[in-house]
Amino acid sequence: MGTKDRYERLREQATTSERDSSPHTLLAVVSLAISLLLLAPLVWIFLRAGEIEFARAVELLTSDTTVSVTLNTLALVTGVTVASILIGVPLAILTAQTDLPFKRFWTITSALPLVVPSYIGAFAFVSAFGPRGVLADLLSPLGIEQIPTIYGLHGAILVLTLFTYPYVFLTTRASLLSFDGTVVEAARTLNHTRWEAFRRVTLPQIAPGIAAGALLVALYALSDFGTPAIMQYDVFTRMIYNEFGARRLDYASVLSMLLLVMALGILAVESRLSAGRDGAYVSSGSRRPGLIRLGYWKAPALLFCGAIASLCLVLPIGILLQWLLRSGTGYSGGGFAFEASYAWNSVGLAAAAAAICVVAALPIAYLAARGTSGISSLPERATYVGYAVPGVVLGLALVYLGLRYVPFLYQSVILLVFAYVIRFLPQAVGTTESSILQVDPQYIEAARSLGYHPLSAFRKVVLPLVAPGIAAGAALVFLTTMKELPATLMLRPTGFETFVTYIWLVQGAGYYGQAAVPALVLVGLSGLSMLVILRREDTS
Amino acid sequence: MSDSNDLTGRNATQSRRRFLALGGATAATALAGCSGILGGGDGGEGGSDGGTDTGAGQISLSDFRGSGPLVEQRDAPGGTSIEELPDLSGELTLYLGGGEGGLYLDLINLLEQLYPDFTANHRLEASSDLANTIIEENEAGASPADVFMSIDAGSLGAVANAGATASLPEEALSTVPEAYQDSEGRWVGIAGRARAIPYNTNQISESDIPSTVQEFPETAALENSMGWAPSYGAFQSFVTAMRLIRGDDETMSWLQAMQDHGITTYDDEFRVSNACADGELTAGFANHYYTLRVQSARDDSPIGLAFTEGDAGALVNVSGLEIIDGTDNADLASNFVRHVLSAEAQEFFATRTFAYPMIPGVAPVGDLPRIDDLNPPDINLTELADVAGTVDLLRDAGVL
Repeated sequence: MGTKDRYERLREQATTSERDSSPHTLLAVVSLAISLLLLAPLVWIFLRAGEIEFARAVELLTSDTTVSVTLNTLALVTGVTVASILIGVPLAILTAQTDLPFKRFWTITSALPLVVPSYIGAFAFVSAFGPRGVLADLLSPLGIEQIPTIYGLHGAILVLTLFTYPYVFLTTRASLLSFDGTVVEAARTLNHTRWEAFRRVTLPQIAPGIAAGALLVALYALSDFGTPAIMQYDVFTRMIYNEFGARRLDYASVLSMLLLVMALGILAVESRLSAGRDGAYVSSGSRRPGLIRLGYWKAPALLFCGAIASLCLVLPIGILLQWLLRSGTGYSGGGFAFEASYAWNSVGLAAAAAAICVVAALPIAYLAARGTSGISSLPERATYVGYAVPGVVLGLALVYLGLRYVPFLYQSVILLVFAYVIRFLPQAVGTTESSILQVDPQYIEAARSLGYHPLSAFRKVVLPLVAPGIAAGAALVFLTTMKELPATLMLRPTGFETFVTYIWLVQGAGYYGQAAVPALVLVGLSGLSMLVILRREDTS
Repeated sequence: MSDSNDLTGRNATQSRRRFLALGGATAATALAGCSGILGGGDGGEGGSDGGTDTGAGQISLSDFRGSGPLVEQRDAPGGTSIEELPDLSGELTLYLGGGEGGLYLDLINLLEQLYPDFTANHRLEASSDLANTIIEENEAGASPADVFMSIDAGSLGAVANAGATASLPEEALSTVPEAYQDSEGRWVGIAGRARAIPYNTNQISESDIPSTVQEFPETAALENSMGWAPSYGAFQSFVTAMRLIRGDDETMSWLQAMQDHGITTYDDEFRVSNACADGELTAGFANHYYTLRVQSARDDSPIGLAFTEGDAGALVNVSGLEIIDGTDNADLASNFVRHVLSAEAQEFFATRTFAYPMIPGVAPVGDLPRIDDLNPPDINLTELADVAGTVDLLRDAGVL
């Protein structure tokens, strides 16, 4: 979305050429209504937690379990974030600024792990390195009986890092590609070494890009449910799910509140950072700095890229293929036969969520891009809260809201799609807004001067221009919905299985072989979302 | 694991038929191949509806019956046959607690195949979680569930005690021994699961295994050579039973004595039983049917099954059913309960899951003692609901 300064210019133009505010008022009302509807379930969490007697609340908050879960969560988030920077930044530099061979190829392999849902990665790693896994089988003839367990903190950090570092990779790469190379050249002429030039010039320039990616990773690690659950590591998400299962509601809501506050904290830092990105994250420099020649470092660099790609892509896909070819486990799991209807359920849900998100995103994005007052960006900001809402928290809130206030919607597809819309609307708003910003308001002026009504001017002029952005938003929502695990598990109607609930069910029962096909299909479909992202990344 | 020639996917039905006609099933296929008419094992698309639509009347007893050495030369099951029951039709919402790793779904699938107009939408989660869910839903108004099928009487009891059940059909209750149903008829057992001691027949003889678990820590032959799976629900029910009989302090002492005596922790009781067959362990604590699974999967494996007497170690827990209050499908739910207690379904539990059947007309497989010959402790299964206290105790003892 490298349009920051054009964006500013446009915003000025838009404000000065403001003439007819009635559509804006209507838009504002609609947008506010949408955002209030989306925020309602979260308010419930706080209200529910507020019902707890003060003494009991203090007891819950200070209990050993709460403390240890908080520490575990912090350890996981910190570990994953740091490790992602250590992997993502070098990969970004190697693919953007050096003479690494097959750069295009490594760029793609470095971004691709994002398409492997982390729980499928976790599931594959447990199968490879877990007790009686592939590695144990390979080593046992050699007399090695015990391998270190994959379960626990280190396993969870490993898996989450491998499948989320691409956030850091992509944001860092974007800032490397867009920053002004002449500055580095200048530093070089001042007799700085490459390293000094990097440290003193490049790093400060790309730091906001790294930070933006790191915060996304932190948010992901904080709210991920599948990986810690599979790795048997107690963090907020896993505890909330278990407490919800056991219907210990007061504790579940206290934990949810803590998790939500942490997530909103991360989101707040992220949005302040992106607001203050002036010319750092994306600047107007057009000259790339000269390529760094790797020389002796070429072999280690290739080895590094290859190792990461092997761990993130070859290993999980290899394991899935191996399950496919290997016969079943100890006893039959025939009851878990995959049915075609599960696939249609997944597709139907994702299509519904995408359609609703696109429609709901339009007024909000338009208002945020063209709005005139401080209030115009409020609905947009409100939707961004969806980014920070972990699926388990939303699932918990909607199960109880449904049960108490809208029983006819309890365990219905409608409530489930509503959950997806809350979580994934920001993606649609983001892509739609950035494409609306690309539209020169003078086009609309022209259309208006020809006597078009504002709405028809919008339809005839703006809509065709923003269609690609809308389509990209729809695609992203569709694909992220396909992968969503916790809310789907908690809210799905009885008897209504999808790709992910099926995978979850059979992995819980240990029938790995039966998860292979749906998991591969899911990875393939998610791969398409990467195409959407890469096509939007204006790289050479 | 055995190398199975899985009968799965598209032609499962035909190949099963051919295979049954051939007789002489191998042990391997008994386990890996008896995956129901729907097949499975590969989870491939297309493995879903078996390619052939088996309509009513095409399903016979052999489809319900397992195969392999433990099942050969069985008498025809006695009791009420499915053919004598009214047809199932309509949509049933079934909450399935545990589900025995998918095995119970095979039975549901068989019934769906038998009655094209019948669908059972199931929700499979941990039994205690579903019990809590039903209680919660019931308090809020009504639960969407028509029937709760659970692998543990404690969770059935919790729902019944919360007043969330409807009455069961008399025809169903009358066929099941009173020990394995709720005293007020609010839930009924469908399959029995006995606590047992799997042991390695090369390392110890049955006569050397004490008749109560209290004596285990004093038995030299079992020092540093036993295994258990404390995270498993059935093990926790056994500890809950011990707490009910002997109190928390004695239970705690016993747990500590066992640890001092040297005991290895496993993930599940199938692994404990396998380790006994491997000679890794001399004996272990496990549900009885895991030993039968091991025996069925490996020819002549040196594993035997012993039972203690009259104590928590001899607990017989049941999987059971209850109809949920507020159902608008009462007739279908009642009919479904009767189907699960029919001769064919009970044969399914006996030969596919190696559980104790609940109706007298069906015998348990192999050389399992008759359920009447077991000496379970005199406790009310509904009281097994206090799992939370047991988990706390296991944590305090350092077992979990």
